[in-house]
Amino acid sequence: MHDPEANTRKPMNREAMKHELMAGPAAPVVIVGAGHSGVAVAAGLRARGWEGGILLLEAEKGTPYERPPLSKELLKDGAPDESAVLRKEKFYQDKRIDRVAGIAVDSVDRAGRTVLLSDGSRRDYHRLVIATGSRARALTVPGAALPGVQALRTRDDALELKRLLVAGARVAIIGAGYIGLEVAAAAAAKGCEVTVLEFQDRVMSRVTSAPVSHHFEQLHQRHGVRFVFSAAVTDIEGDHRAERVVTADGHVFQADVVLAGIGVVPNQELAAEAGLECRDGILVDGHGVTSDPAIYATGDVTRFTSPIDGASQRLECIQNAQAQADRVAAHITGQPAAVPEIPWFWTVQHGVRLQTAGVRRPDDDVIVRGNPAGGSFSVVYLRDGRVAAVDTIGGLADFRPARKLIARGDRMDPALAADPRVPLTEATLTGAVLNAPAPIHADPATARS
Amino acid sequence: MSNNKLTVIDREGSTHRLEWEPDQTLMEALRDNDLPVLASCGGTASCATCHVFLEREAFDTLGERSEDELELLVEAEGYQACGSRLSCQLDFSRELNGITVTLAPED
Repeated sequence: MHDPEANTRKPMNREAMKHELMAGPAAPVVIVGAGHSGVAVAAGLRARGWEGGILLLEAEKGTPYERPPLSKELLKDGAPDESAVLRKEKFYQDKRIDRVAGIAVDSVDRAGRTVLLSDGSRRDYHRLVIATGSRARALTVPGAALPGVQALRTRDDALELKRLLVAGARVAIIGAGYIGLEVAAAAAAKGCEVTVLEFQDRVMSRVTSAPVSHHFEQLHQRHGVRFVFSAAVTDIEGDHRAERVVTADGHVFQADVVLAGIGVVPNQELAAEAGLECRDGILVDGHGVTSDPAIYATGDVTRFTSPIDGASQRLECIQNAQAQADRVAAHITGQPAAVPEIPWFWTVQHGVRLQTAGVRRPDDDVIVRGNPAGGSFSVVYLRDGRVAAVDTIGGLADFRPARKLIARGDRMDPALAADPRVPLTEATLTGAVLNAPAPIHADPATARS
Repeated sequence: MSNNKLTVIDREGSTHRLEWEPDQTLMEALRDNDLPVLASCGGTASCATCHVFLEREAFDTLGERSEDELELLVEAEGYQACGSRLSCQLDFSRELNGITVTLAPED
């Protein structure tokens, strides 16, 4: 995926770099989608000296904004309704990044290197970058379209939800993932009566282990949130608005507001209809190139091979949105990309932060480090004796060491790793070095399976 | 309010002079001037990719670092007890006019 040179960080001579770059082709780089990744491609192209045109197209109106605060700060009482913008308007002007907001791209004419926009106009592209992100997976049960049933993905979604979350409101949240739990915390803080309905038997089961799930369940329960596990929602009932949520076992939950937080699906339709290879995400290589060499894709919408362990994956996180954007900008300008960071994720619930480095798998060995009852602990996930991922809860001391250890592929001593008095970086099995298989390598072709 | 002047020494040792605008955090001023500051967390003191070193005099004019900021910094490459800051946590202030900021090495 990466040629070895692409991972070598060299000092950049900016003047030489600029000199080498062409003044820019007649047609611009057209970026579809102004989320984290699309904006990062535009900024990255200019930072790397791209002199050609850049056109950033976005279906939503307004200045492109940060998404993480939508389910956190923005929902709080007294918080301003404006979510933080990714870059100030002046930045786009200064960097000669043309933007059209409130317009959709209807189709791509690959042979003509043209996109057709929803206003009927056409735009030529030199390179096309698809950064259309993902959307909230829709509930499909009867009644899902009733007013009062909400998803949370856009700023408008968040503002509507904020309006509905008033003291005393009965809030049913379907799905105990990051979004569902962050909204549960915001709703509880506003004095809502919150019930979380989860199909699995614990919260955040997709992303973390049982000890972390239980820690957060107790945290929510202390704030008055009620959980119903193994709950399969079959209906949402109500005359003109959502009033009740019904589960398969016949239970009925009264609700004024229903939030569905059941995951996201990639917005790959534009690419699929243009004949680009897609499989639950647009398939891209290590440079973000799709099956058409003039078309890139980046961020939530992509599926790619992990440079760490060779797994086929979609990553729904800002770190990936930025890292892929950097690789796209690097490839378009013919420069080496920065070494990608280890993927990482975070959520904040009732003021307690869960931050994860790496991607855990359900069959990893689980080592609890520290005492959960004390409020601050970590969980180390070992795969073949090496750190695959680390959750930090209520403290970040292990976060950076975790990313280093994951990148290095050191073998760990489980007993030392469980002892919070031993720095994580010193909990390695140094004696086992001679017998250790090759460490994790940036090139999946030579990586261990 | 007028801009602050800022001198930045990048990871290759080159010096850049730039303007720090009143509505920018220090991280935004660095990033919007194309310096290689990743800021993956968008300025929430979660990732430490905007780690900078300040001169002692400037450092001492600032308030205490939050627990999250300090925990990330202590584990960072080249941590300086009286110099390391996450630039996303530094709002514009007159007192920081004319300071020199050094980008910390990447992990």
